[in-house]
Formats: sequence, C-alpha cells, structure tokens
Amino acid sequence: MKKVSFRNDILPLKNELYRLALRITLNPAEAEDVVQETMIKVWNRRDRWEELESIEAFCLTICRNISLDKMKKAENQNSSLEEGHDSADYSYSSNPEEQAMQRDRIAVVRQLIDNLPEKQRSCMQLREFEGKSYKEIAQILGVTEEQVKINIFRARQQIKQQFIKTENYGL
Amino acid sequence: MDYKYIEQLLERYWEGETTLQEESILRTFFSQPDTPEIPENIQRYRAIFVCEQQKEEPLGEDFDARILEQIGEAPVAKTIMLKDRLMPLFKAAAIVAIILTLGNAAQAPWDIWEDPREAYVKAQEQLADTVNVLTTIQAENVSDTIQAPAKEKSTYLE
Repeated sequence: MKKVSFRNDILPLKNELYRLALRITLNPAEAEDVVQETMIKVWNRRDRWEELESIEAFCLTICRNISLDKMKKAENQNSSLEEGHDSADYSYSSNPEEQAMQRDRIAVVRQLIDNLPEKQRSCMQLREFEGKSYKEIAQILGVTEEQVKINIFRARQQIKQQFIKTENYGL
Repeated sequence: MDYKYIEQLLERYWEGETTLQEESILRTFFSQPDTPEIPENIQRYRAIFVCEQQKEEPLGEDFDARILEQIGEAPVAKTIMLKDRLMPLFKAAAIVAIILTLGNAAQAPWDIWEDPREAYVKAQEQLADTVNVLTTIQAENVSDTIQAPAKEKSTYLE
C-alpha cells in the first residue's frame, strides 16, 4: 500500500464527502459540519491509513455514519415530518404558483432524489454522481453488492415514475 | 441518426443493468444541446441525466485551512520553533569552543622552546581538554536529535 498523505489524498475528497453528506442530511450547513468531523476522525486514525484498501471508501463510510448520526439526533429533537409523506407527491405539484416557479425540471429531479429513502439516496449519489462501481458502494455502505443493485434499481424506477408523473401533471 | 442504441441503453439503465461506462455514455449523450430530432421518449429523461452531471464544489481553500489548523498543524510548528530557538545557543557554544581551542593553541607555542618533553606533555593535556570539550558539545547535540521523532507527524502532512 502506498503512502497516504492527508494534504494530497484526503483533503481533496472534501467535496465528494460534502455531496454525500448533503444528500443524506439535506442541509448544507450540517453537511459541512459532517465533512469537518469526518476529516478529523480520519486524521485521528492516521496510524491505520496504511492498512486500508481504499482510503476514499474509508472516508466515505465515516462520512455516511456521521451523517446518519446527525440525522438521528435531528429526528429526536423534533417530531418527524418524514413519516407522513411517502415521496409520492410534493408541494411543487399541489400549488399552481409554486408549480410555475418550480418549472425547472432539474430542480424537480433533485427533489425526487432527495425524497428517496436514505439508502437509495446514498446509493444513487455514489453511483450516478460519483461514478462508483457496485463493489465500491457495497464496501462503503457495508452491505452486499446485491443489495446495492436492488437499491439502485428501486431508486431509478422511482425517479423515472415520479418524473413522468410530474411531467404529465405539469402538461 | 439512429437512437436505437440510446433507447436500449436507457432500457437497461432503468433495469440497473448498465455498466459505469454505458452510464457515462448516456450522460454524455444528454449533455449535448437539445435537438428536435431526438425522439420524445428519449428526450423526456434529459433532466435526470443532466441533473446527475452537476457537481457542486462548495468547499474551498478556507475549509482546508480550518481543517489543517484543527488537526494540529500547530504542534508541528512548535517543534520547529523550539529547534530554531535553540539554534543560536548551539552557535554560541561552537564559537566558545573554537575560541578556547584557539586560545590554548596560541598559548602552547611559548612553552615549546623551553623543554620539548614538557611541551609535549602539555600539548597532550591540551589535546585531551579539547577532546573533552568536543564530547560535551556532541552530547548536547545528541540530546537534541532525540527530539527528532516528534517531527514524524509532519511527514503525514507532506
């Protein structure tokens, strides 16, 4: 295993970590905190860097775990709004004015992704945005490759259906 | 242009059977400007693939600086400062050693003409003195280099 340098190998991952954290927490300020905590945690385990197969996967795993922790804490603090709506319909299709404002389809897609369950969201983020293989994603999330495939399949199906639905609704 | 291939790719994409390479082909395809000849059943998904290509890069240099500060660039800086601070002392010690040696050496020649044997003994003594002085200086230097492992931390940061 080659020598790992914090400045050259780990710090440049910050935006990738940020995107994953943002995808999970859905809150930019929170995401930045997560990345910061991730960096410090990774730094504190620097004696283990040489043993790791992939420092990137290691960082992403830590980043996801911290994000999930934050989410849990946030959920404890206020009653969950998540439970009721099942990502089927969102405000942009209920209010005509808002609908007009949110014509931007990309924003719609983003919203659709953000409405997916966390696991599917993380899988989508790593696959579609970061271009990771199923194997890498499985390693990062600590699940089997098969589960990753299922999650991505479901996520894509959901996005496709919801997207077509909103498109038809809009017309 | 034939869009069958793209259509097939899309079909397999929804089933989760595309490879990373094929997915990047799809993304490249949809990142081209909109043309009316692209069939509607392909065109409609453009937003999904365009969306996936947009990557935010919100964290800049100031974030790096903050992290580096937090992970303790500071202690590394301190060890360097300590060494720098002691440097003049080493220099002073070296100068004193040189002066002492030269001083002894300068005194020696006056005695030599009186009695060669005595002069030889004296010279030997002086040599022994100089060796003593040098060993103490070396010992100081050695104790200094023992602090070196503290610097190891900085190599992680290279």
